[in-house]
Amino acid sequence: MLVNRRTALKQVLVVSAGLALLPSCLRKTTPASITLKNIAVDGEGENMLALLADTLIPTTSTPGAKDVKAHLFALTMVDDCFKKDDQQKWLTGMKAFSALSEKNNGKSFGDSTPEARKTLLELLEKSKPEDGEAAYFYHATKRLIVQGYTNSEYYLTKVQVYELVPGRFYGSVPVKPAGRKTA
Amino acid sequence: MANINTGAQDRTFDAIVIGSGISGGWAAKEFTEKGLKTLVLERGRDVKHLKDYPTTNMYPWEFKHRGQIPEAIKEEAPVVSRCYAFKEDAMHFFVKDKEHPYEQDKPFDWIRGYQVGGKSLLWARQTQRWSDYDFEGPARDGFAVDWPIRYADIAPWYSYVEKFVGISGNKDGLDNLPDGEFLPAMEMTAVEKYFQGFVSKNYKDRNVIYGRCAHLSEPQPIHIEQGRVKCQKRNLCQRGCPFGGYFSSNSSTLPWAEKTGNLTLRPDAVVHSIIYDEQKGKATGVRVVDAKTKETTEYYARVIFVNAAAINSNLILLNSTSSRFPQGLGNDSGVLGKYFAFHNYRATIYADYDGFMDVTTEGRRPTSAYIPRFRNVKKQETDFLRGYAAGFDTGRRKWNSQDGVGTSLKDQLFNEEMGNWYVGSHMMGETIPKEISQLTLDKAKKDEWGMPVIHINLGYDDNDEKMIKDFHEQMTEMYTKAGFTNIRTGDSKQAPGLDIHEMGGARMGKDPKTSVLNKWNQMHDVKNVFVTDGACMTSTSTQNPSLTYMALTARAVDYAVGQMKRGDL
Ligand SMILES: Cc1cc2nc3c(=O)[nH]c(=O)nc-3n(C[C@H](O)[C@H](O)[C@H](O)COP(=O)(O)OP(=O)(O)OC[C@H]3O[C@@H](n4cnc5c(N)ncnc54)[C@H](O)[C@@H]3O)c2cc1C
Ligand code: SF4
Repeated sequence: MLVNRRTALKQVLVVSAGLALLPSCLRKTTPASITLKNIAVDGEGENMLALLADTLIPTTSTPGAKDVKAHLFALTMVDDCFKKDDQQKWLTGMKAFSALSEKNNGKSFGDSTPEARKTLLELLEKSKPEDGEAAYFYHATKRLIVQGYTNSEYYLTKVQVYELVPGRFYGSVPVKPAGRKTA
Repeated sequence: MANINTGAQDRTFDAIVIGSGISGGWAAKEFTEKGLKTLVLERGRDVKHLKDYPTTNMYPWEFKHRGQIPEAIKEEAPVVSRCYAFKEDAMHFFVKDKEHPYEQDKPFDWIRGYQVGGKSLLWARQTQRWSDYDFEGPARDGFAVDWPIRYADIAPWYSYVEKFVGISGNKDGLDNLPDGEFLPAMEMTAVEKYFQGFVSKNYKDRNVIYGRCAHLSEPQPIHIEQGRVKCQKRNLCQRGCPFGGYFSSNSSTLPWAEKTGNLTLRPDAVVHSIIYDEQKGKATGVRVVDAKTKETTEYYARVIFVNAAAINSNLILLNSTSSRFPQGLGNDSGVLGKYFAFHNYRATIYADYDGFMDVTTEGRRPTSAYIPRFRNVKKQETDFLRGYAAGFDTGRRKWNSQDGVGTSLKDQLFNEEMGNWYVGSHMMGETIPKEISQLTLDKAKKDEWGMPVIHINLGYDDNDEKMIKDFHEQMTEMYTKAGFTNIRTGDSKQAPGLDIHEMGGARMGKDPKTSVLNKWNQMHDVKNVFVTDGACMTSTSTQNPSLTYMALTARAVDYAVGQMKRGDL
């Protein structure tokens, strides 16, 4: 059963990255807002990442991943800290991800409705990184966006306060029932 | 910058110290305090306490890669990238592979810090004393040569340096790990205390203690006088500490030496070799190559201390050839560069613990608990020689679930979950110094400063493999009996060197035919040259070694100055 579901899911995720995209020469490209040394991602790709970040960790009464520029952190990490092979896999995956949006929503990720974007991510959430190009891209990007968000100034000063100078260490303190924080 | 235009008189001192790291800093402090005009030669750049710690007050989000080392740097510097402390916040204090190449006859990860302060900025600050079970090791078990000293010779010097350094610890009353001069210990966790009680109840001669470490838990007047204050438990020590909370040459010994007015510190001064005068029958000075201009200068002194860290000290001595010493300075025995050794850090063991779910830890702690050596201590009991100590660290697992998309994910990221406790140990095994474990020079290959490139030939042996197996077995048994679950043993297979406890090559011994240094760290064959860093170590035992280098250094300076006053040097 489980095996069949996974196989079915994998089939859903398979897209041909080349087909669904317009040839890039027909599009006007703007450069990304940060300088990239190793990967070619333009302003459009950056916008898609920003929307992906915003769909993953949305702006509510508190800032979301896009507000803290977690997508730019993700780009920087892929550019500087990924091995060459993984950078290629990630770029291919990014195209496959766009193509998957076209295939499933009939629209680019950017033009899709917020609900459609979320549905697409929820579909990918069920996958494993090795389930295909788009799945690899999704999981790698999600990890970086979560890392960027939880290591942002906002998060570390307002959500889980990072103390540069704790001035104390206690080896055994009672666990306090923590009140739930509103995200 | 070294100035070649000054007269020889301006380049003459009472004492020269080569290297400004943990041991060189101590030599500088002792000589200058005793009134000797002292020149410290350091091949790296200057690093001033407080002023030159660029990352020390940075928040996590201020690091472009949140601490991670970019791939381009890793590719270019695979060796140093394997060191756990080589992260974005401290990478400027490490030597990158390409800057200073060396030859590995077998894989050897040589981790270096070339700057004023050396590796004292980066060390993990663990400071355990040796006991006679350590000093008597080679004689009892028949390897290397007998140490020319015993615990009683060094004990007062341990006390002497501990008081100045500031060591946080407990009086544990163990004869295999003697107590020292301690500032209060920091706290152990609930699980560490539990395991401590469990082990002492169930095992004769096995103990879990709080690891003694060079942190000012409660500064004394002598520390305040150094300008250091209480450790604030930031646990960001490798960046350099704005409080001087841990001991480094930069925060402690070097500024102290400077205050005496007797110190001359020359950064960017690569010591090439020691000058030997055949007529006088002693060393007269050193040849220095300016790190930037490559100009050569000679400096002179009555006594020379070699503290360039174990491998570089061997390199300098091997490179100091003359017709009297064609095989390297003070090498009549032919053992210089040989019997090199290290600590075996390959094995780890991790587990979970489901007790003490009602408590957790709070704040940060720059140290951990420690399991002193319990194997083969009083008598030989296994099929391998010597034994291992172990770190012991625990904590409560806390995480944020990262499942889901949208507001549900965000909600989880805002609300931390708490799991059970993790426990973990790593072994610190004694390795046996052997003749084939050698440092040699490639005379044909020279670096930018005209120094021959050093060959390092060092590997694991059968004794090490057996010890790893025993560590896994013994620790698994102790963990299991204590009720720890999900036990996972590991063998990193890491190359020697990554322990950063390389030792030997110019070992101490009683017999000039089989050793390089006498019981005062003085060269048998060249009385005014002393080696007091890791190069002097006859055997390695299991303790983190730097405290012993410091004590030996202070002791050797005291002896040297006594000899100078008597006119013997
Ligand atoms: C991450 C890390 C963790 C560690 N943890 C511990 C620990 O917990 N406990 C412990 O005891 N030890 C620890 N160590 C090891 C400890 O740092 C060393 O044992 C100690 O620094 C050695 O002191 P030293 O004076 O011999 O050498 P160093 O401190 O390395 O100083 C040597 C100095 O000599 C200079 N030099 C080298 N060649 C020349 C030359 N030709 N001319 C002029 N100058 C030269 C170098 O630039 C350097 O500044 C750790 C090391 C690291 C890197
Ligand atoms: S733990 Fe102590 S010594 Fe280390 S950085 Fe913090 S205050 Fe300084």
